[in-house]
Amino acid sequence: MSKRSTIVVSSSEDEDKDGSFNSKRGYSKCKSRRKNPSGAKKARISGSRPRLCRDSSVFDEMRLFCEEFGEGLTGFKVSAGSSRCGGKELWVDKYKPRSLEELAVHKKKVEEVTVWFEKRLRTSREETCNLLVITGQAGVGKSATIHAIASHLGARLCEWNMPIPTIWQEHLHNTNSGIRYTSKLDEFESFVERMRKYGIIPPSFAGESKSPVILLIDDLPVTNGNASYRRLRNCLQLLAQSTQIPTAILITDYGKADSADNIATARCLEELQLSLENAGACKIAFNPITSNSIKKTLSKICRQEQCGVTADQIDLIARSSGGDIRHAITSLQYFCLKPDPKLSLSFSEPARTYSKEKSDELNPLDDGFSLPFGRDETLSLFHALGKFLHNKRESENAIAPGQEAFLVSERLTRLPLKMDAPERVLCQAHVQARPVADFLHENVLDFMSEEAIDDASAVASYLSDSDFLLAAHRGMFATSYEAGNVLQSAAASVAARGVLFGNSHPLASRWHAIRRPKLWQVEQSSLHNKCEILGQRLVALSTSNISVIATEYIPMFKWLRYGASGGFEDYQALIQGNETELDDNDSMILDEKENEISDDEIEDW
Amino acid sequence: MLWVDKYRPKTLDNLIVHNDVAQNLKKLVTEQDCPHLLFYGPPGSGKKTLIMAILRQMFGPSADKVKVENKTWKIDAGTRTIDLELTTLSSTHHMELNPGDAGFQDRYIVQEIIKEMAKNRPIDTKGKKGFRVLVLNEVDRLSREAQHSLRRTMEKYSASCRLILCCNSSSKVTEAVRSRCLNIRINAPTEEQITKVLEFIAKKEGLQLPSGFATRIAEKSNRSLRRAILSFETCRVQQYPFTNNQAMPPMDWEEYVSEIASDIMKEQSPKRLFQVRGKLYELLINCIPPEIILKRLLLELLKKLDAELKHEVCHWAAYYEHRMRLGQKAIFHIEAFVAKFMSIYKAFLIATFG
Amino acid sequence: MAPVLQSSQPWVEKYRPKQVKDVAHQDEVVRVLTNTLETTNCPHMLFYGPPGTGKTTTALAIAHQLFGPELYKSRVLELNASDDRGINVVRTKIKDFAAVAVGSGHRQGGYPCPPYKIIILDEADSMTEDAQNALRRTMETYSKVTRFFFICNYISRIIEPLASRCAKFRFKPLSEEIMSSRILHICKEEELNLDSEALSTLSSISQGDLRRAITYLQGAARLFGSIISSKDLISVSGVVPQHVVQALFAACKSGDFDSANKEVNNVIAEGYPVSQMLYQLFDVVVEADISDEQKARICKRLAEADKCLVDGADEYLQLLDVASNAMRALCNMPEEFPHES
Repeated sequence: MSKRSTIVVSSSEDEDKDGSFNSKRGYSKCKSRRKNPSGAKKARISGSRPRLCRDSSVFDEMRLFCEEFGEGLTGFKVSAGSSRCGGKELWVDKYKPRSLEELAVHKKKVEEVTVWFEKRLRTSREETCNLLVITGQAGVGKSATIHAIASHLGARLCEWNMPIPTIWQEHLHNTNSGIRYTSKLDEFESFVERMRKYGIIPPSFAGESKSPVILLIDDLPVTNGNASYRRLRNCLQLLAQSTQIPTAILITDYGKADSADNIATARCLEELQLSLENAGACKIAFNPITSNSIKKTLSKICRQEQCGVTADQIDLIARSSGGDIRHAITSLQYFCLKPDPKLSLSFSEPARTYSKEKSDELNPLDDGFSLPFGRDETLSLFHALGKFLHNKRESENAIAPGQEAFLVSERLTRLPLKMDAPERVLCQAHVQARPVADFLHENVLDFMSEEAIDDASAVASYLSDSDFLLAAHRGMFATSYEAGNVLQSAAASVAARGVLFGNSHPLASRWHAIRRPKLWQVEQSSLHNKCEILGQRLVALSTSNISVIATEYIPMFKWLRYGASGGFEDYQALIQGNETELDDNDSMILDEKENEISDDEIEDW
Repeated sequence: MLWVDKYRPKTLDNLIVHNDVAQNLKKLVTEQDCPHLLFYGPPGSGKKTLIMAILRQMFGPSADKVKVENKTWKIDAGTRTIDLELTTLSSTHHMELNPGDAGFQDRYIVQEIIKEMAKNRPIDTKGKKGFRVLVLNEVDRLSREAQHSLRRTMEKYSASCRLILCCNSSSKVTEAVRSRCLNIRINAPTEEQITKVLEFIAKKEGLQLPSGFATRIAEKSNRSLRRAILSFETCRVQQYPFTNNQAMPPMDWEEYVSEIASDIMKEQSPKRLFQVRGKLYELLINCIPPEIILKRLLLELLKKLDAELKHEVCHWAAYYEHRMRLGQKAIFHIEAFVAKFMSIYKAFLIATFG
Repeated sequence: MAPVLQSSQPWVEKYRPKQVKDVAHQDEVVRVLTNTLETTNCPHMLFYGPPGTGKTTTALAIAHQLFGPELYKSRVLELNASDDRGINVVRTKIKDFAAVAVGSGHRQGGYPCPPYKIIILDEADSMTEDAQNALRRTMETYSKVTRFFFICNYISRIIEPLASRCAKFRFKPLSEEIMSSRILHICKEEELNLDSEALSTLSSISQGDLRRAITYLQGAARLFGSIISSKDLISVSGVVPQHVVQALFAACKSGDFDSANKEVNNVIAEGYPVSQMLYQLFDVVVEADISDEQKARICKRLAEADKCLVDGADEYLQLLDVASNAMRALCNMPEEFPHES
């Protein structure tokens, strides 16, 4: 958790304290950091008032944490070196890349980003959009890259970090002490507002530094619900249009959505990126780091730490990390955790069990799944899907026919699977049944042979069963959580096994991209259209139900106004057009009514 | 204004269609003894029209002065409060809404609205009736719970408000609700009646109607009067004077479905299935209800099939439609039906032609 | 009931027997209960039986006869299925009512007024099991001052601990004569003219459910005036005319899919409720002159279709499938489909 036993100042500390802080830093073991040019100073601007703190970038996370903490308890001084961890620090921080060369990120990407910043810093800032969006899953070195580049270019880095969410108790505490709660989104908004108006004029830096400034926005505030999402989007667009300094926004990808929550977030983020790109922002996507470069980094750390980890083990860690270097380093540190006589007092129990576990684990190294490290979640969803879809089987039935307990007709026999039981795979993937079914539904047809429509039909019917089970789950959710769980797993199992069983002539293995279910998008737009129709129900149609409008009125309007050329899309405009017209007619109805009595027309069916 | 609205009968007199029902209703209403009513019948048969006419009969022209608004109800559901928004159509004497739009919360909406209506009961001035009418559309879409609470509220507030319920199929309305209403079945008008209506409109509009033209529209309308009048008007826009061999402008989604059907007949492969899925998505995006897609698809397929296969295909259509009701994602089930059909059809082709 | 709408009072209420001895056709029950009334000693009771046989009527009549109109409000609590009867209501409302002490057992205004209160739970079988369990405790705690009357259609849905605490009374379906006499009585009172054909139609379509019969009668009277024919009754009741059912059955027999499809389309367009259609089709099939196996095949599918309809499936598709299935059974086509993989 902590760094050396340095004192991290709470945010209310000002310049002269900072100085002492700097001097303390002199004792730090890691000399290499000192080589960094002064550009590593950075300003952090947070919520209500800018807090400026000079610090080396490595301090970031720690300091931020303490600062937030300090904000909660004003005037409190926090010493960061918690006694528990003593002189140890996280390797992730310790071996944070200091220079471009040290970055494990692909050279090309680094260069791309560097070039972008160089260009922005050199040329006039009027014309172009000064926004760079960097996406990538967690731990691919997004912020590290920016930090390294900033120091490389000798630029000052201003950072807006995602504030730590206020915990409820903390909030209560704050309200008692009179501190108002501001949502993170509010903070971000006011930050952007200030950026727009004043740029960055940190007074304390005014005279001191002429170095160019880079603004780094590390992760966007979390948004829940449409309204706040829209606010965030507007806010970002504003930023894109107005920012004068090169700004990098880091967006962590949840693309490989594995839970309902993340799916929603991922959708939001995707849209955000699009809107930013439309606003002229440049987007660079970081890929997961290759296991080779992770391996290289890990071996380097091993050498420096002098811990005897074999190449095999490093290889394993690297592979199971899923391209997340931070995770890989953490795993390595954990892996190298040895019962330390000094530590055994404070937490001997866990340490011992760890070591025991470890020695057990080192033996069955081949079994990737039993290792305690490994970022398996997102990876495994695709892994699992791939397994189901590719449907690899043994070339012949291992069990002799005589041994089989009962015989099934040939039509129903399948060769044994070349994988764990589907339920096991699902369990390892930590996914919910719904996305599994959706993904399988979207992709399974690609993996079927041309002629096998019977297979397709079998698979489709199994997927239909699975959907049915999932819906049944929805109804029972309130009454029995347990039953819901069983149904969930049953549904996932039916979907997976159905796909495996149904696809009896799988295509020879060849590469297929696994698509995101288009269904989600369809559902959304259908819902959107529905709301639109409901929202615009006209006087005349207000009593009709939606299916009548969709199936009878809308196609008909198209004929009436647009002839054959009218696409489905036009109808919204059409309804609107119609609405105004109907309004006119409305008054007509009233007029007509007076006449009606007199001329006594029978307008009946 | 659309002809459908323009020529909607305003009173219960002299209707071309359902005149007998209208006369009975008129008697019922004028005798000041109006029970709760339940209208049921297929779409486009004139339920809504009759209801509007009844309201006018009850309250006079003031029933016409309606305003549309999006009302929000705050509902206290024990542990939490729910905000519900619904579009309502109301006059001083009645309110009309589709409680089915409220989704899972439908039972609260029913209770709450009726309670509210009962509270704001118009004061008995001379000659005015002391009750309001609540028109609930699509009661068959209401959940069991909602229907249950509907039934109780019907009894409790029967002095202050009258319910007119409207639905397509009365089997989906619980016995308890049905038995508390006067059930009125509105059958779809026959083709002759539709023809008559179309001829009537043509006369009013001063149109030359070639003989047999109206009949042709009526045949195509599937006995839905609304459908017939709508397509009559589109014909008018498309081409006038009418010619006897004039093409009826088809509904675009129906064409699309028949396109899907011929796609399916032409080729049966996973690849084709995937293409069909894309087309189905297109329909779903445009809010065509999945069960209507499935029914239409069945219709198109039945047209092209040998009698031998029809039984099988219609069985699977019924099977998957039922599944669809119980399931969450319609596409899974429609697609399963399509796949099933492809598989059956291919087997049939192989068996027949080798 | 507000005076404005006096005329719209449901006949079911208007002609509800006010006294236990007037309850039709449930002699045994009436005998026991009359006895109860005399001794004013009353156990917890559970009335069960098909709808429209007088269960609620009996319960209300007892309560009225015991307490009279004055005390009725304070002594009797009526709850039925549409009231919220979750576990919370059981815990609070019922308990609160039960907990209030009652006065002495003095007779007031000629009514026995025994020293306990009555809680009538109509349609008790729709209560959740949890609520029923909670009720059991309440019953025990307050048994001195309260009596519970449970009313339900299916006794199997009442949990055993509750049922065992009650005296159980089974209500039989009403016979046709009893129904007819009751109906005729109402006709006389309301000055309706009902011919004998209409009368027999009425008792056949209401299937021993007197409430339904009266409701139909009132509906027909409102809609068609004082002269009611059997056709009017059918149209009000939502029963499908026999010739429509026969036509569908004949089409199925003919073995021509398209003509069956046409009939089905017709049924849908005419707006007949398909669940009712299935019911009547069932009668026709059972009566029909076909082999048992054929009957079994058709009925199996009828049952499935009915369940599907309850689940909300599309009426047209279900009826079409029923027709197609019936056709295959009637024409001795194989039950399995030839092309199924």
